[in-house]
Amino acid sequence: MSGFGWAFARDLTLALRHPGGTMLTLAFFVLVASLFPLGVGADPQLLARIGPGVIWVCALLAAFLSLGSLFADDFADGTLEQMMLSPDPVFAWVSGKIAAHWMVSGLPLTLLSPLLGLQYGLSSEALGALAAALLLGTPVLSLLGSACAALSLGARGGGTLLALLALPLFVPVLIFGAGAADAAANGLGAGPHLSLLGAMLLAAAVAVPFAGAAAIRIALD
Amino acid sequence: MNLFYLSSPSTFFHFAGRLAPWFFGLAAVLGATGLYVGLVQAPTDATQGEVYRVIFIHVAASWMSMFIYFVMACYGAMSLTFNSRLSAMMARALAPTGAMFTFVALWTGSFWGRPTWGTYWVWDARITSELVLLFLYFGYIALANAFEDPRRGDRASSLLAIVGVVNLPIIYFSVQWWNTLHQGSSVKLTGSSMHVTMLTGMLLMAFSFWMYAIGAALTRVRSIILERERRTRWVRALRPA
Amino acid sequence: MDHNFYLAMSYGATAVAIAAELVFLALGRARAWKQVNEERELEAQD
Repeated sequence: MSGFGWAFARDLTLALRHPGGTMLTLAFFVLVASLFPLGVGADPQLLARIGPGVIWVCALLAAFLSLGSLFADDFADGTLEQMMLSPDPVFAWVSGKIAAHWMVSGLPLTLLSPLLGLQYGLSSEALGALAAALLLGTPVLSLLGSACAALSLGARGGGTLLALLALPLFVPVLIFGAGAADAAANGLGAGPHLSLLGAMLLAAAVAVPFAGAAAIRIALD
Repeated sequence: MNLFYLSSPSTFFHFAGRLAPWFFGLAAVLGATGLYVGLVQAPTDATQGEVYRVIFIHVAASWMSMFIYFVMACYGAMSLTFNSRLSAMMARALAPTGAMFTFVALWTGSFWGRPTWGTYWVWDARITSELVLLFLYFGYIALANAFEDPRRGDRASSLLAIVGVVNLPIIYFSVQWWNTLHQGSSVKLTGSSMHVTMLTGMLLMAFSFWMYAIGAALTRVRSIILERERRTRWVRALRPA
Repeated sequence: MDHNFYLAMSYGATAVAIAAELVFLALGRARAWKQVNEERELEAQD
């Protein structure tokens, strides 16, 4: 996995040098999650029931926002073609880019989620399950979303096309992720949900970089 | 006859033109027979009364929605492995028909659910994954048409179709894996637990929809071939339709 | 609601969907031939 290292370091450095995009995504996440109680009313039982689902949907929306620029910036200035010329396998540096993307989008979201969960009055079991589910699920979102971003490189329709492509693939992650926190809140144990999320993560981590590599080759032809 | 001749758009154009009417004709005959068996011959259901007759459309449409996606993904895989233009065109030709059957499955299921389950919609595993299938079809069509270069659209949408195939087992096995309102499969390869007339009606409608789908795809692919290959000599030499 | 309503909505929507698809097939065919004829005219001008 010799390509993983430099791609990961490069993207992470770039993201940390220009924190605007990351901050924007996080701010969006927090903002939208805070809007729901205002719109729905402050009934604590209702908020505790919809909390996990709302926070997960906000995570999905934040993913749509941040995924657009994953390959697009490099594609626009020709860096992506240069990276294709590297002797390292394509799936390796694609994995590196995706990992760096998760570090600055999914991981901060996961770390912020207990605070948002408290806003919704979630119990401590639910908070723990939600954070664990996000920890397992946000990398899957980054992986699946990056494949869709690679497929839609240079397409008309931009961000909306990306959302349309990624939405069907995100649905299982959303269902099991929100379900994990719900199960924990109802005392049923989030084990099965988290196991399924873990399985999705393993499968996606292994398979998606190859799909992403194929998509980038298609885009660069 | 060497089947590879068929992979040339010019040969396939004429081949499809000769075959399509036969498939539409078969679809009409099978459909008429199936509707007769389903609406006239099949007995009234003990629990559901007359409304169960939605099954003759609902099940056939659901089967077709999944089957067409699978065939579309196969054509996509062929187009990527063999770099074949015609395979990609066939995949594009199938997508709208598949989306139509998915919509019909969801719609008829909804109007069947209201009198039997009490609700037009429920987020159970099978219905949700069928809705996801509809979004996959829309995504495929959108991606295929999102690029200036149609070949780029072919390849991108083929990859998307292959990735989305993972949804099909989820739809199929969802009634086994989760507790849902949907009943389990009553039709298996080894036999069926249904009344034989009902089963006959369902199978007739399923074959009718299948023949219709082939006819529609062959017709649509002819239009796609004409548009894509309009600068070639053989298209310019065609007699005006 | 009378059960015939649900049957009618189901069978009716299916008929409408198939009819709509056939209409769109015909429209697609007409559009394709229009493009072919435009291409022929362009070539004739050369």
